[in-house]
Formats: sequence, C-alpha cells, structure tokens
Amino acid sequence: MAEPILAGVAESDLGETPDRNWLDNAAIATVRALEDAGCQLAEVDGVAVAGGDDYMPALVLSEYLDLDEPSFLEGTEIGGSSFEHFCGHVRDAMARDEADVVVVAYGSTSKTGPGRNQSLEETHPIDGFVRPTGLFRPPGAYAMAARRHMHEYGTTEEQLAEIAVATREWAAMNPKAAQREPITVDDVLESREIAAPFNLLDCCLVSDGGGAVVLVSEEKAAELGVPEIAVAGVASTSTHRQDISEMPDMTTTGAAVTGPKAFDQAGITHDDVDVAEIYDSFTYTALVTLEDLGFCEKGEGGEFVSGGTTAPGGELPMNTQGGGLSYCHPGHFGIFVLIEAARQLRGDYEGDRQVDDAEVAVAHGTGGLLSSSSTVVLRRES
Amino acid sequence: MTGRVEDRREDWEGPVPVPTGATVPFWDGTLEGELRYQECDCGHRQLYPRAVCTACGAEDPLFEASEGVGTIYTYTVCHVPGEPGFGERTPYVVGAIDLAEGPRLLALLDADPDDLEIGAAVGVAFWQVSDEAAIPVFVPE
Ligand SMILES: [Zn+2]
Repeated sequence: MAEPILAGVAESDLGETPDRNWLDNAAIATVRALEDAGCQLAEVDGVAVAGGDDYMPALVLSEYLDLDEPSFLEGTEIGGSSFEHFCGHVRDAMARDEADVVVVAYGSTSKTGPGRNQSLEETHPIDGFVRPTGLFRPPGAYAMAARRHMHEYGTTEEQLAEIAVATREWAAMNPKAAQREPITVDDVLESREIAAPFNLLDCCLVSDGGGAVVLVSEEKAAELGVPEIAVAGVASTSTHRQDISEMPDMTTTGAAVTGPKAFDQAGITHDDVDVAEIYDSFTYTALVTLEDLGFCEKGEGGEFVSGGTTAPGGELPMNTQGGGLSYCHPGHFGIFVLIEAARQLRGDYEGDRQVDDAEVAVAHGTGGLLSSSSTVVLRRES
Repeated sequence: MTGRVEDRREDWEGPVPVPTGATVPFWDGTLEGELRYQECDCGHRQLYPRAVCTACGAEDPLFEASEGVGTIYTYTVCHVPGEPGFGERTPYVVGAIDLAEGPRLLALLDADPDDLEIGAAVGVAFWQVSDEAAIPVFVPE
C-alpha cells in the first residue's frame, strides 16, 4: 500500500497564549507546518483535526483556513490519540487518490482559556456514575490504574518516577520545553500529592498551544523534495471511555493490540526501533504503554525504565522533546508525539538531543482515561 | 434493603445524577437503599445500566438487587478536588468496586485512606443527594 509521507511539522507558540484561541493555535501550527514542508495553503486538499471546542472541528478549521472544497475531512474525536488514528485514514484516502496534501492539526488553550464544565443535564448518562464520585480526572483515573499495576506486579513509585527523571533530561536540551531543571527520583516522590499514588511530577503539564503535521502522497513528496518519512504502520483501538471502571484490565491498554498490528504492517521488530515517542500524560501512561507495545514483558515495565533506559544515551530513547511531563501538554499530546518522531528521523537536531542514525520511530497516542490507543510506525525511506 | 440511605440533600454541593433512559430504574432503587444491576436472560450481568445487553444484544435487560457487598479492585486518594463541592472533603478516596455479583462500579469510598487495600471487603451505603437519586458509597466491612 502507498504510504503517506510526513512532509512537514510544526508547533504554534506553546506554554501560555492568552491572546490566542484554539483555532488560532491550530491555524498557526498549520501554516508553519506547511512552510516546513515547502507547501502552500492552496495545495491543501484535506484536514484532520480533533480536540477543538467544536463538534464539527474539521468544518470549522476548513472554513477558518478558507480551504477550497477539500476532498478529505476528518474530525473523529478519540482524545489524545486522534492524530495517530488519523494517519490511517489519510493513508486510506491517499491510496484512493482522494488527497495529496492533508493537514493534521490541533490547537488548544488548556491553560489560559475557558474551562469546559457541562452540567449533568447536558452530558450523557454515564457521567451520572462518574462525576458524583468526585474522582479528579484525568489524574485520579490513571492513578487507580497505576495502583492496580503496583498491586499486581510490584511496580513502585520510584520506578514510575524514573520516567519523569529521564524525560526531564531530554527536556533540558529542548529550548521549547516548559520545565528544564534537572530532577531526581526523590524530587518526584516529594512533590505535592495530587491523586495517590501520583505526585505532581508524575503528572503532565497543562499548556496552551497547537501542533500540525502535513501528510502528502509519495508523488507530492517527490515533487517537494522532502525527506521521505513514511507512515509505515498504523493501528487504533479503544477499551472504554468515560468511566475508568469500564476498562476491562487496568494494567493492560489497547496498545497491546495496536502495537503488534502496526509493527507487523511496517515489517519491524522492537530491535528496529531507534526512538520511541510515547504519550506520557502520566508516568504510568508511558510505563504501561512500553509493556503493551512489547518493549518488555507485562509487569516488567518498572524494572525496564530503571537506570535511565529511556534517557539520553539510554537503550530506548523516549520522549526526546521532554514529553507531556516536561515540554508541553495542551490537552491532546498526540500531535506532538508525531512532530518529534519526524524531527528525530529527519536528523533535525545536534549533539545528544539527536538520536544517532534514527531510521524507525514509534509514535504512540493514548486518549481519554487510558481509553484509546493508536500506534504509528514511521520510517525514513531516503 | 442492601444499604442504609442517609439524607444528604441539605449539604451536598457535588454533581447530582440525572436519571434518564435505562438508568432510571437504577436511581429509583438507590432511593430505597437497593443497589441494582442488570441481569440478562443470557446470564450476562452489567453496570452501568444500558438499554441493551452488551453480551447478546437483548433490549432492556432486567434489573436485580445486589447484596451490596464487594471488594476493592483499585482506588486513588484525591488530594485535589475533582468536582465542585469536593473542596472541603480532600483527601477523599474513590475506588472501583467489584460487586460480589460481578459488575464493577466506580464509587466514593467513605474510609480512612491509610486503612485501605486492594482486595478489601466493602459494603454499600447510600447518600441521598437529590429527590431523584442517592449515590452508592462504599465503606470497609
Ligand atoms: Zn444478554
């Protein structure tokens, strides 16, 4: 099957953007990603967008960018993994010659913008079984899953903290990262309690900002002369949505299904993976995903991440821009996972920030409350 | 009766369930201190209540009364309030409870966080928070 090429990537301004709304940030990221690809806005014939505060986000973004009769419109909302999920639909559309230049975009003002607080009359009946419990979501839901993992496999808070520490080492090298001061395991354990067993440094940031990636057909990529970063495998699934107690097994995510599928499509094994960009809304998110993707056995994630395995110079460089834990997290982090994977494969960086000779990257998104999982394998073809 | 119903309508400032559709019989039961789950003719048991059986697709599976006892599958201690009205309550515990009959339910655990462990036995009580609903709250047995 023809593989879409990731031709351009960009962020909007990150951190705090009080003078911007979500559409501004999505549009700014879009034009920057198009510039990165060497493409014009007029060439865009498809958009895929999630996360905006609108129930027809693809139409809104198309209108905002004044696109001329786009042939590909995608606004499926599956949370933070939506953008990885879109890669599969873009692949299908390009295989049908339905699109040549598709923008996958996200924008948010999670930090400075208005909060979303629907009343229980306005929302669906499932919320009546969730919100009256007072559960602090998302942290408390992920914390419940983490505690179950600790119970079943002996995973420790120290091991979870190792992920935060390694991720911060990467952030220290990223000027765009919000948190760059080195931290220790003790710093994590001594940070403010949020939702036990999570402390503050187990939890991602809350940021404003947007991101975009431009996916083009192989023909278009050749015309643009961009490095061929191909979408070589994609798979998505979900296990539940709103109520974490509906997750069949809180120690296993949908990544256990999507990882093998995406790896198989790409024809790769774990040894081929040079860099892993794994959604890290919380330390546990990354830990359980590494297990489910098969980088270690189920239950051995704590041991696997100990000793700097995912840090600069480690065996499996992970979240090399500083992740949602230290770089930014404007609500849906999945777009940033793709952006960084592409940059590593293009060799955009210098020194320790660049993973040597990176050819294969895994970009994995997680949405909701460990609810949706989408794995993308990216491979540099030229 | 499976659990005591405590009237908290005066001081409850948290979210209040809005019974609709298939959830109406469930919330009706809570007002009488009965924790109901659905048991389909096919044998499948489920919560939260739905208009269809997720095992066989039958419509409107019937409700049964639970004994109101179960075990803690997992829990968290919220140090940051997750909803309006919970600010004064921190730290409070929310758990996923495996009912003896099978279904799992998200619920407040009215207990000291230090005394809890996964697998511990709990029983249901109800806090009436509106004229239409009482929320199930679990306490260690
Ligand atoms: Zn049935």
